[in-house]
Amino acid sequence: MTGVRHLYAHLPFCSSRCGYCAFVVETGGLDRRDAYLDAVIAELDAQEQKLGELDTVYLGGGTPSLMRARRIGRLLESIHPGLAADAEVSMEINPETVDHAALRAFRAAGVTRASIGVQSFQPHLLAALDRGASAEQARAAVECAQDAGFESVSIDLLFGVPGQTPADLEADIAVVRELSPEHVSWYELEIKPGTALERIGTLPPDEDASAEAYRRVVDVLEDAGYRWYETANFARPGFECRHSLGYWHAHDYLGIGVGAVSTVEGRRWRNASGVDAYVAAAGQPSQTNEDLDEDLRRRERWMLALRLEEPIDIARLGEPDHPENFDLLRTHGLLDDEPLALSREGRFVQNSVLHRLMEYA
Amino acid sequence: MNSVNQEHIRNFCIIAHIDHGKSTLADRILQLTNTVDEREMREQVLDSMDLERERGITIKAQAVRVLYTAYDGQQYQLNLIDTPGHVDFSYEVSRSLAACEGALLVVDASQGIEAQTLANTYLALEADLELIPVLNKIDLPAAEPELHARAIAELVGEDPASVLKISAKTGVGIEEVLESIVTFVPPPTGDAEAPTRALIFDSVYDQYRGVVVFVRVVDGALDGKVNLRAMQTGLTFDAEELGVMTPEMVPTGSLKTGESGYIVTGLKDLGELRVGDTLTLSSNQAEEALPGYREVKPMVFCGLFPVDGDDYPALRDALEKLSLNDASLVWEPETSQALGFGFRCGFLGLLHMDIVRERLEREYDLDLLATTPNVQYQVTTTRGDMKPVTSPGDLPAPTEIEFIEEPYVRCTILVPKDYVGAVMGLCQDRRGVYVGMEAIEQRQQISYDLPLAEVVLDFFDQLKSRTRGYASLDYELAGFRESPLVKLDVLLAGEPVDALSMIVHRELAYARGKHLVERLRETIPRQMFEVPIQAAIGGKIIARETVKAKRKDVLAKCYGGDVSRKRKLLERQKEGKKKRMKHVGSVEVPQEAFLAVLEFGDDGNSDK
Ligand SMILES: Nc1nc2c(ncn2[C@@H]2O[C@H](COP(=O)(O)OP(=O)(O)O)[C@@H](O)[C@H]2O)c(=O)[nH]1
Ligand SMILES: C[S@@+](CC[C@H](N)C(=O)[O-])C[C@H]1O[C@@H](n2cnc3c(N)ncnc32)[C@H](O)[C@@H]1O
Ligand code: SF4
Repeated sequence: MTGVRHLYAHLPFCSSRCGYCAFVVETGGLDRRDAYLDAVIAELDAQEQKLGELDTVYLGGGTPSLMRARRIGRLLESIHPGLAADAEVSMEINPETVDHAALRAFRAAGVTRASIGVQSFQPHLLAALDRGASAEQARAAVECAQDAGFESVSIDLLFGVPGQTPADLEADIAVVRELSPEHVSWYELEIKPGTALERIGTLPPDEDASAEAYRRVVDVLEDAGYRWYETANFARPGFECRHSLGYWHAHDYLGIGVGAVSTVEGRRWRNASGVDAYVAAAGQPSQTNEDLDEDLRRRERWMLALRLEEPIDIARLGEPDHPENFDLLRTHGLLDDEPLALSREGRFVQNSVLHRLMEYA
Repeated sequence: MNSVNQEHIRNFCIIAHIDHGKSTLADRILQLTNTVDEREMREQVLDSMDLERERGITIKAQAVRVLYTAYDGQQYQLNLIDTPGHVDFSYEVSRSLAACEGALLVVDASQGIEAQTLANTYLALEADLELIPVLNKIDLPAAEPELHARAIAELVGEDPASVLKISAKTGVGIEEVLESIVTFVPPPTGDAEAPTRALIFDSVYDQYRGVVVFVRVVDGALDGKVNLRAMQTGLTFDAEELGVMTPEMVPTGSLKTGESGYIVTGLKDLGELRVGDTLTLSSNQAEEALPGYREVKPMVFCGLFPVDGDDYPALRDALEKLSLNDASLVWEPETSQALGFGFRCGFLGLLHMDIVRERLEREYDLDLLATTPNVQYQVTTTRGDMKPVTSPGDLPAPTEIEFIEEPYVRCTILVPKDYVGAVMGLCQDRRGVYVGMEAIEQRQQISYDLPLAEVVLDFFDQLKSRTRGYASLDYELAGFRESPLVKLDVLLAGEPVDALSMIVHRELAYARGKHLVERLRETIPRQMFEVPIQAAIGGKIIARETVKAKRKDVLAKCYGGDVSRKRKLLERQKEGKKKRMKHVGSVEVPQEAFLAVLEFGDDGNSDK
């Protein structure tokens, strides 16, 4: 085998925790960045034999941009056998942590794709989310990134934020159209257990309002020339995130760093969270394992595949549990033929469709 | 336990509206006669099943023998025969009464006479019992003993002064009750020399001993392990053990004329020996059975389906086990297109249905769906034959029907005068035929003949809510009557759903159909496509609603670290659906939808 071609590295440091965030995050403790990086590289070395030439690298967090270009460069150089010539190297960037020079430095260190966590351009929504960046900083970061020579710039946005009116959504849409990045991820805000938003009793918006917002986002971005290639992801043709597509195509991937998840040859494991323990483990972090049998894999492939715009490749996915329901889906205009794919309407209700086709026992 | 001579036997029962204190009084009597010593005294020893205790209802009558030395210095054998307290079991009540010579008529001094007080009183008078009126709960601050004493006295035709005033809770007046039993209840009059006749007034199934019947020896005696013959069914069997309940089973080897006790039969099927039948000796048979035998027929039917189809065998096992103890429960396999494999079950009444269902769910841990309860219709076809129909699906095509008859019941409702209008409105809505009205104490007794089908829907709930809980209801079967009935079908996404069909009066069909589709629209969640809901009669759509399609159903973001979690979320969604939803054709229908057909509420009939 050629080995794993997708690498994820989790870089957990953040200045503070945002109100909606449930990721493995380490607030403060920036003085441990080098020690942490040493441990990450040690883990990378320990797992080296699993890797092939890498097609994609994703530096996620936390706030990877807090690691500074020097460390990012060191990390990328530590990868063996190394990156393919046209490898995609994405990095998450928080607007308030970067300026022109910093972005150029990341680019020079080998980052090809800047993913900027904007969330919204509306001050009151940024406040509601406890974000560190102002609307101006968000816009500036995107513009600087576009100027810094990345192959692709992506921005993350949210809908369903408490207090977000249809007018607020339109305002964000207008800025996105104006900035016109290659890629947009537009997620619905989830109120996750344990977050500040949950603690203060934030309720999700009502079903109809959230459906309208979602459909509006899809309509507008398609209209602006983006491909709605995944449930929450939009790209100008050719600028899809190859790393994420790796996940959605159920490829193997190696994840390193605190809380990182890997899936390699039917085994999935998750590193423990906690930076101190991770550093102490020096490349041998404690892990929890999950064995995935072929049946589980097949269910996951279907779950992931229906998120995508591309045709449904039954030969790759395996038979669905209820092929008899294809007809029902066709009758109701949720499935297209030649090639077999969810229709546009079908994609809006993909979760219902999935339950009709597959058993999740 | 020593026998006494026939002159010193008293067979009696306690009749009371539910909660008026029958069980408490029974406990007191046992305590006072030292049958149960204080230490052993469980609360309400006569109710054996936990569920019944919780609901405060006694389903199975039992007989308890106590010895009491009266003020006259003589020892008496008192046989207390417990009676079921609910209208569903009125036949069983009547058999219990037939085993007695007297009855304590217990009325709550704070409540006064209720519908079951009346119903049971009439039954007791019909059975020629000596009635001893007792006002209970005089310790309650809200008690109005004088007021209610006058009313009871009038009801039984006695002097108000003769009404005993007691508190089963504090023990006040219990001895007077025992003395009255000794003084006023006549001893049994059976002929000791005649061929043996014993009335079966109850039966239970014991896991270890098989069927145990409770009998009252009317003539002759039972002695030893004799061979017995049930006169109505012809069944013969050996008495394995004879004895009395104290309330523990105590073998006595014999039961004499006038005594009550139990017989262990060794039979395995409760259905083989019927309550109301007469036992005689195979070797010396009586000529005529005791009067009053009636086969108990189920009056209310519904389909019971496991929510999870895999539970079908477990449901069958559970029904088999319940039937061991409940001969009046009948069931047969039924297949529904919508609900899969299940059973059509017949019950004595609504309460019986509720109890069975609850026991199945609780004791056997089953999740069940019940279809709309039905009564048994009698359909006369154009070919002239008569066909009983208990399921809407079995109704012949309209062209093959000459006419349909449905069972009616005579309902006796007792309410404070202020609510007479509300009750009459309800009865009128439910196709009631006014029979009469009579003042009883401060209240009105209203009689209506109503189609049983209307009573088994939500009549009782409606009655309670329209009278703020003040109304009490009793009913008895009042024959079959011809009615213009039609089958109302429900279609989901164009497909008829058999489990939602019902048989309704033609004039109510439109309102019912409309109400039903509205309720279904509220209960059925949005699906990935639009779901039309239609009500139809004979192919003609009479009402329509639509459940709109979902506009969005996606799992939010999903990245590499998230796959297992998202998959588990799907598993939880699926699990939740499996619990709550039934696939009916292409539509996912929550269980509550099947209950929707049960509730017609205030407007189900009136907005014609
Ligand atoms: N205060 C008071 N409560 C009583 C008396 N007798 C029974 N109760 C209560 O009334 C309720 C119903 O009594 P129960 O014997 O179960 O009634 P049954 O349904 O007729 O058997 C119970 O809560 C009893 O404790 C009494 O004399 N005084
Ligand atoms: C790994 S996260 C954090 C990246 C970066 N630290 C930031 O905050 O911009 C990547 C993206 O996930 C999305 N995200 C985080 N929490 C979310 C939530 N509770 N609901 C929906 N999307 C969320 C945000 O759009 C965020 O930019
Ligand atoms: S900056 Fe990003 S990773 Fe850090 S706490 Fe906020 S949302 Fe979470």
